[in-house]
Amino acid sequence: MLQTMTAPAAEAQPRPILQLVGVRKTFGRFAAVESIDLDVREGEFLTIVGPSGSGKTTLLRMLAGMDTPSEGYITLRGELINDMPANRRPTCLVFQSLALFPHKSVGENITFPLKVKGVSAAARKARALELMKVVRLPPDYFDKNVMKCSGGERQRVALARAFAYDPQVLFFDEPLSALDYKLKKALEKELKDLHRETGKTFIYITHSLEEAMVMSDRIGVMRAGRLVQVGTPEEIYGAPVDRFVSEFVGEVNTIKVKRDGEEWRGVDVDGRFTLRPPADGAALGEAFVVVRPEYMRFLKEGDTADNRLTGTVYNEYSLGSRIQYQIRVGEKVMLVELSRARALPPGSDPVVTIGWDAADAFTLAG
Amino acid sequence: MATSLIRKQKRTNALIWGWTAFVLVIVYLPILCGALASFNKSRYFGFPIKTFSTDWWDKTLASFEIGMIVKTSILIALVVTVLSVVIATFGALAFARYDWTGRRLYQKLIILPIFFPQPVLGLALLLGFNAVGIQTSWMTAAFAHLVWIVPVVTLVIAIQVYGFDPALEEAAYDLGCSRIQVFREVTLPLLWPGIWSGMLFAFLLSWSNFPLSLYTAGADSTIPKWLYAKMVAGYTPMVPALGTMATLGAAVLLLGGGLVGLLARRRRPA
Repeated sequence: MLQTMTAPAAEAQPRPILQLVGVRKTFGRFAAVESIDLDVREGEFLTIVGPSGSGKTTLLRMLAGMDTPSEGYITLRGELINDMPANRRPTCLVFQSLALFPHKSVGENITFPLKVKGVSAAARKARALELMKVVRLPPDYFDKNVMKCSGGERQRVALARAFAYDPQVLFFDEPLSALDYKLKKALEKELKDLHRETGKTFIYITHSLEEAMVMSDRIGVMRAGRLVQVGTPEEIYGAPVDRFVSEFVGEVNTIKVKRDGEEWRGVDVDGRFTLRPPADGAALGEAFVVVRPEYMRFLKEGDTADNRLTGTVYNEYSLGSRIQYQIRVGEKVMLVELSRARALPPGSDPVVTIGWDAADAFTLAG
Repeated sequence: MATSLIRKQKRTNALIWGWTAFVLVIVYLPILCGALASFNKSRYFGFPIKTFSTDWWDKTLASFEIGMIVKTSILIALVVTVLSVVIATFGALAFARYDWTGRRLYQKLIILPIFFPQPVLGLALLLGFNAVGIQTSWMTAAFAHLVWIVPVVTLVIAIQVYGFDPALEEAAYDLGCSRIQVFREVTLPLLWPGIWSGMLFAFLLSWSNFPLSLYTAGADSTIPKWLYAKMVAGYTPMVPALGTMATLGAAVLLLGGGLVGLLARRRRPA
């Protein structure tokens, strides 16, 4: 289940299309981005997530050529592009506001980069109609006022315009953040499909991990200007490197434990625990056991589990298809999340035993 | 209940209409009086007008002196329009778009001349021209107009600059435009409504300016300056005739300008 995903070592890694070495950006004394090393693989969908102010937008602006790194190197297919201005970079940014030209029609927006390149009007229109098909815009939208398009249609226009530039790498600055939930979900999937169909390298930034999980091949988590962890969605979710990442990527139960001979004893709850050794294998005196609510279960008489706790149910929340229970264990509140089908029957005893297996939890340094 | 509501609504409507009519009368009646005065056959003004005639309009249109004055007024207004729009466009971009040390101070300093009493500004400029030995003429008047009008036009255009997303320029640049192409393809078209209103403002403010012209036009005369001079000595109904013509000219320009703006918006894709 939650085993650490090990990349097949034998598989030849494609040459990175973008490479960042020690990239840093300071504004006065403030370092918005602190020493980032990152290899972006050809054709991958990489998402950078982080809370606001974590430096992800600054990082993206440096990649797109709108800001210059204060230190470090950015190379594109081996060529140093630190000081290459945005208009000469074979990359394209889809802005958060989309930045569609309000005085131009849908067609004029999409053909804009072609017009700048000096492509003939007929060829421009032909290409625009092709791209409109790719992004699923009806051809009669060509002459439509872009300001009269709906939110979802505008996203498609912005995408088509970016594709018209024929960039080697596409950057996205949370373009879906202003949309309503349902449309957002639909467009996330479409974007992922488009990524697969076009084979382009996508770098997407967002503060929403949910968005990142749905779309990405790999996710980079940023905090305070640093890339804390880069990995597949499964790695980020299943083997976070620290408490920040573990909490950022979803709700967790965290129990502080102390080594007591061969055993681990709870510090904030009573009990002895069986732990999976931490990823770095360090001999720890103190550690945190982290269990996601969906890996907790209620134990009935005779059920076995590596770890168990007894507590009182004092709250339950409906999460649609799932139910989350809040269970008070001593001073702590533990979360258990179940599918609705496996919910506690109404009127059952509020005193419950919950448990989990060591393999389903992860251990982080104290 | 329902009838009392309807009655109340009717009363509100009546009050709104009454007030609107009152304001319109206050604003437009004097202009109408001026127009009527110009159609008076008699040399001196007095109501009721006994005989109407267009003699004074004919004389005004035929006058060589007035022709010169109108040409000077138009010349000054055109020079002021062109220069103020160029200065104000870049000023507004600097002021509303870019962040630089001293920007806030610049914002305040450039607005200040709008609030100077114009006669004082005119006098100050006249003294300044004298001090550096510049002969006053229509050119110094145009300069004086610019001192007052550039801030106004800057404000008008700045509103347009604030109204559009800087990401649009970045996006154009990112899509391969040079700086000049960004300006031509994105900045200028988006600022155009503001520039157009700024042009109308500049022309009309210069066209109707009296205090600055009085001090700084030297031997040259503009329409407002001439109207004043004739009121002081040598009134004829040519004064209200020219005044009415100047007002009508301004109105035509304003309506025409508005119409052009409307057509430009209509021409956009559906």
